Amino acid sequence: MDHPLVRSTDLVKTYELGSETVHAVDGVSLSIARGEFVAIMGTSGSGKSTFMNMIGCLDVPTSGTVAIDGIATSDMESDALADLRNRKIGFVFQQFNLLARTTATDNVAVPLIYAGKGGEERRELANRKLADMGLGERLDHTPAMLSGGQQQRVAIARALVTEPLMLLADEPTGALDTRTSEDIMQIFQQLNYDGITVILVTHEDEIADHAERKIIFRDGKVIEDGPVHNRRIAASAESRA
Amino acid sequence: MKKGVAPRLSGWLVNIAIAMTALRTNLMRSILTTLGVMIGVFAVTLAVGVGSGAQSSVMDSINTLGSNMALIFPQPDSEGGRQTFERGRLTTRDADAILREIDGVTDIAPQLRANINMVSAGRNAATNAIGATPGYGQVSSVAAQTGRFITDADVRTSSRVLLLGASVAENLFGDFDPVGETIRVNRIPFKVIGVLESKGSSFGNDNDDVAVMPITTMRQRFTGDTLAGPDDLHILFVGFADGINLSDAKKAMTELLRDRYRIRDKETNPFTIRTTEEFIEQSSQVTGIFQTVLVAIASISLLVGGIGIMNIMLVSVTERTREIGLRMALGAKKSDIRNQFLVEAAVLCVIGGAMGLVLAIAAGSALTAYADFPVPIGMGVAIGAIIFSALVGLAFGGWPAVRASRLSPIEALRSE
Repeated sequence: MDHPLVRSTDLVKTYELGSETVHAVDGVSLSIARGEFVAIMGTSGSGKSTFMNMIGCLDVPTSGTVAIDGIATSDMESDALADLRNRKIGFVFQQFNLLARTTATDNVAVPLIYAGKGGEERRELANRKLADMGLGERLDHTPAMLSGGQQQRVAIARALVTEPLMLLADEPTGALDTRTSEDIMQIFQQLNYDGITVILVTHEDEIADHAERKIIFRDGKVIEDGPVHNRRIAASAESRA
Repeated sequence: MKKGVAPRLSGWLVNIAIAMTALRTNLMRSILTTLGVMIGVFAVTLAVGVGSGAQSSVMDSINTLGSNMALIFPQPDSEGGRQTFERGRLTTRDADAILREIDGVTDIAPQLRANINMVSAGRNAATNAIGATPGYGQVSSVAAQTGRFITDADVRTSSRVLLLGASVAENLFGDFDPVGETIRVNRIPFKVIGVLESKGSSFGNDNDDVAVMPITTMRQRFTGDTLAGPDDLHILFVGFADGINLSDAKKAMTELLRDRYRIRDKETNPFTIRTTEEFIEQSSQVTGIFQTVLVAIASISLLVGGIGIMNIMLVSVTERTREIGLRMALGAKKSDIRNQFLVEAAVLCVIGGAMGLVLAIAAGSALTAYADFPVPIGMGVAIGAIIFSALVGLAFGGWPAVRASRLSPIEALRSE
């Protein structure tokens, strides 16, 4: 396994805003290896989210290439990209993005529908992941019946249910209070310890300090890329109590 | 990775479950949209039923004539400069020749027709009487309900006997059995020998408003001076055995009659032959057009219903853009998204279609019960209506569904 999990080469994304051309991402080349815990930082408009959308195969680069697990994505059809997202990437969003009026089990099972799994298997795998997230008692709860932290844990279970290689989390704690954020970061650290690559977009230093490596974006370019000193280790809710 | 049938089937079930959730979420909107399809399917199904009903009514009235037969009547004209009467004739001898020489003829029923007035004990009735032979009973499946039919002896002796249709008997005698009574027909006393079996009515025409007497009696008493010769006929029914090709038989009869009257090659026929086959063909053409026009008009309401579906699906896709983006991020292919919305449109339409079908069956039964008009809505039409509604869903849901599937994942996810 000599190739990195994610490799971007001269990645560029431009938008036309009226007569102006905005370089959201401006020639970024970097690699992320398996098992890393990376925080991507920057102010809003720095290009960090656009960069993550491209390595998550949600957005198409203007130029440059992205390779996931050694496979170049630039000439892949949309169906192949959908399959890649389904099998190798788990997404966690700031606003959780759970389906309303749908139980936790059914929410977590959504990726398995597209993986072609049968109904019984879907329920079983979804419930197992929910139990791992400490939500074994709330399988039948709809998002409206869950707290923000619980909703984000359902979303993490959903991201993990197809056993992906990496988690991409875009401001996963942005809608949560400090204490709940700490819980979520603890989960990410545990998952990373268990072997999953975690890539996290955030603008908060305290959150980024939970990662091992910090990449800072400004004006579409990487201005800093290095290990986190004095890494924070999130305490579990039990040990805090 | 092998994908079996079960996961694929379960994928469709998931789509139906997603559709049901979405439809429940906007319950009122879903009901109103369904209403459009319901009215459309109701109208089309009822139109098909009314059309088939008209068709079967026409068939019934043709069948009262007799199932496999031909009608021949003289068609006088002045073709070839000859006298009208000479050309436009049809006689008992022609009838006998047809019975003798044409293959497959089982019976002949030479007839005269006359309007008669009947009086009995102060009550009177006017009707169109048929002068017939016993053969009429066989060819047109006419029989006596009470009493007896006319016999060869009646014909030979020109006896003054007659049978009454059920309606005529009712008018003259009420509930009283008229068999054996004497009535005056145009002042001549006749003995009632029977009452005919009822043939009901077709298209408001009372088939029981009729009287039958021996052909010879009618010729002597009522029609003699209006005919060109002593054995002329007004009309001839020819009954054929089952399985006889009527158009071949018609050709053979035409040739025979042209030969008998020495019609030259270029001259038109001084007679007309119609077969039940032709009646059925012509009337099914007419009822077919009738049905097509009805269904076409009804289809407009289904079209409007379909446009309603398209409208609401476009709204649904717009409202759920974020959900579409999420599903794409989680691995949904374009086809998955497209199918999800197609299924939603089809489910809407099938629910509406089923309700429209139930309504049409109810309206059809009401029409049959209260207006005496058959509106058959069979299993085939019912299944067709449901399949058709699903197709309406697919047709009108197609464009919104394809639009949804073409969204870019990130644009869709970012939308509010």
